[in-house]
Amino acid sequence: MAREAAALRTTDLLGVFWRSFFIQASWSYDRLQSLGFAFALLTALRRLYPDKAELSSRLAVHTEYFNTQPYLASFILGAAARAEEERATGRMPDLDVTELKTNLMAPLGALGDSFFWGSLKPFAAAAAVAVLLTGAWWAPILFLVLYNIVHVGLRFSLVFIGYSTQGDVLGLMTRYGFTRLARRYKVMSLAIVGCIVGTVSAWGTDFRPAIAIPAPGLAIAGLALTLALTGLLRIGATPVKLMIGLAAACLACALGGIV
Amino acid sequence: MFDAHMIMQVLAAAVICGFIGLDRTALGQFMISQPVVAGPLTGWLLGDVTAGLVIGGTLELIWVLDMPIGTFVPADSTVAAVAATAIAALGSPMPGDLPVIGFSLLMTVVMVPVTMFADHLMRKRNAQIPQLVLASDGRPTEAGVTGWHLAGLIAFFLKSFFMCLALVPAGLVLVSGFQMLPAAFFRAMEVFVTLLPLLGAASVARKLSMKILDKTLLTGFCVGAVSVQLLHLPEIAAIILAAAGGWVGVRSHGA
Repeated sequence: MAREAAALRTTDLLGVFWRSFFIQASWSYDRLQSLGFAFALLTALRRLYPDKAELSSRLAVHTEYFNTQPYLASFILGAAARAEEERATGRMPDLDVTELKTNLMAPLGALGDSFFWGSLKPFAAAAAVAVLLTGAWWAPILFLVLYNIVHVGLRFSLVFIGYSTQGDVLGLMTRYGFTRLARRYKVMSLAIVGCIVGTVSAWGTDFRPAIAIPAPGLAIAGLALTLALTGLLRIGATPVKLMIGLAAACLACALGGIV
Repeated sequence: MFDAHMIMQVLAAAVICGFIGLDRTALGQFMISQPVVAGPLTGWLLGDVTAGLVIGGTLELIWVLDMPIGTFVPADSTVAAVAATAIAALGSPMPGDLPVIGFSLLMTVVMVPVTMFADHLMRKRNAQIPQLVLASDGRPTEAGVTGWHLAGLIAFFLKSFFMCLALVPAGLVLVSGFQMLPAAFFRAMEVFVTLLPLLGAASVARKLSMKILDKTLLTGFCVGAVSVQLLHLPEIAAIILAAAGGWVGVRSHGA
């Protein structure tokens, strides 16, 4: 028989959404986001478990190991809130919330890392840097808008989708087509990066290489240097080492009167 | 050199770094901590937007694909961008001084492994927090979870704050020495800064493509070069054309 426990309200899920921005506040190597998950779910748990002892016991469950991509954690938070609701109201008293979290965190971690870190972020950065190199002061704003429309929009909706679908990750992937979108962002990023190199002669005055070469030659020299640096990175050079190397080469050229 | 006004400005830079650094992992991750935003924001607050724009623009692409996957902690580009901008803004005789910007960038970038180590130590120390939330019966309490979890923000803030507080004064001392060097050093740093976006381009190409001569990269290059040099289109139009070309290209291949 179902117990008399309050169902979750929209405001509770909004509370979970707000707290999801703090999910990594105490990130550590061994527990990663475990405490953050419990913290984010607290508004929902408080509604479902007015009894302090029971609340504490549910908090103990949610402070166990947890790690996923921080934005897609919203989906798991929504699903976990729903599972806790099912459990607390007695509809599914034996529901294993830990198993649900464990099953979701690895696939969503891989999906989110590839989509957000591996494609959306480089796309927004490439677009912003391309615009910045023209001398436009509003490039940082462009970056934030391009990135956060997707980031905040998804983070918000995923709490509610996770709650309503009870953590249907296949449905989520079909709905948003993350893999297809990621590929498009990656290709566009590469095209924009190529364009950055191709327009080197038209960069703003603070960025344009101060080398006396005609525009077509400068573009070709820029491409050659980019490809050479790509090759060096491919064989194991790090950006820091290449920066030091570039600085040393520039100094040698300046001392030799070449530039 | 370090009068009361300068000390206040260095402290202000460290506070800015502490707050912006929170966005990197601990709070929100709205990407305010990315160099392309953190640099100009710091520059604007310290009175040299140009330095911030140049530093942010040059550093952004270099580490953009260093991904925080699992327990990997990527290079701290936020401290590098904020500290380099602060050193350039406070240490140069005029705003937007490219040689000083180049030298500041070089110094802070060299210190990146140190900032990564500080990050590593702080995260290792955070491992104690889950033990602290437990009450005497061994179960976590609501107040314990909330209080100790949010206390983690202080640790993240302090890490960026102290890194910047150490880097900026040291950088200012070195910049004052740099300004006494022969003109060739200034010229070298000027050229160095303007070549860094190409390193950023190489860094992105390296991570997004398996090939050195990537077809999409070369198409973007041709679109950019032809649009600007032959068609005399504004650069922004070339960027839109290249992005649209990439979108259409990937669609036509069925992705």
